[in-house]
Amino acid sequence: MSIKILTAVGLGMGAGYFFLSSAIGSYMDIIIDIGLMLLLFFVGMDIGKHKDVFEKIKKMGFKILLVPMAIIIGSIVGGIAGGVLLKMPFNEAGAVGSGMGWYTLSSMLLANYSTELSALAFLSNVIREIIALISIPLIAKYVGNLEAIAPGGATTMDTSLPVVSASTNSETAIVAFISGVICTMSVPVILPIILKL
Amino acid sequence: MGFRLLLYLAILVLGGVLGYKDMVSEKLNKKLSTIQNLCLLLLLFIMGVKIGLDDKVFSSLFTIGFKALVISLFTVLFSILAVYIVSKLAFKKEEKNEY
Repeated sequence: MSIKILTAVGLGMGAGYFFLSSAIGSYMDIIIDIGLMLLLFFVGMDIGKHKDVFEKIKKMGFKILLVPMAIIIGSIVGGIAGGVLLKMPFNEAGAVGSGMGWYTLSSMLLANYSTELSALAFLSNVIREIIALISIPLIAKYVGNLEAIAPGGATTMDTSLPVVSASTNSETAIVAFISGVICTMSVPVILPIILKL
Repeated sequence: MGFRLLLYLAILVLGGVLGYKDMVSEKLNKKLSTIQNLCLLLLLFIMGVKIGLDDKVFSSLFTIGFKALVISLFTVLFSILAVYIVSKLAFKKEEKNEY
């Protein structure tokens, strides 16, 4: 899937640069709006299907929710800190950070706000996923198991879950999954709020 | 943007309720996941087109890539730090050993 994703973006860039005229720009905004809503609907359905998450949270104690909350706050503050270094506006840098590795949704949410910021959100969150896949085993070994959940952000419910599971233990993997679901749910809500601030 | 946020939330919740109540059959479910992927790829293609059409963005892709690297490094570092603080404060030693 990740190769398909990169191919789609690459083909689009080629088509836009070489063949298409900018007159079609306003049509694309409409397509993005409609497509985004479809995508959100599917995401909602995916999350709804994970009924067992609520049971697991109750069983492990609500304290477990502190982990995704810390990851969300850390991601936003981290994004802003990086933005300060790059002299970016707080709201834009924070919004990119709040994508938490979910590059497809965060870039879509920003596509009609600014093409540049959308590209930045895409790349930054792709890189975050790559960093997560590489660093999770190291963090589990040298820092701690709970900390190893942090780099993955929203991706610990799917792409980086196998890595967390392999480098920690089954209890941590459950916490990572719950944390990934909560982070995923938070992206479409928190990102627009931060952007608006 | 306020209206937009409410709309996003409503759509998300609508999907969530449908998923939670198993209102979608397994067969339709498989088709939906194909539609979902196609929809996603089309959107990404269009995002690419927008980048390609925008000379300013296209010519500064390397700068944007560098910025992206800086931001992603900071988000990862601060996330780890935040979880570290939470695990020190809220999770006792014995509990920590379980994780």
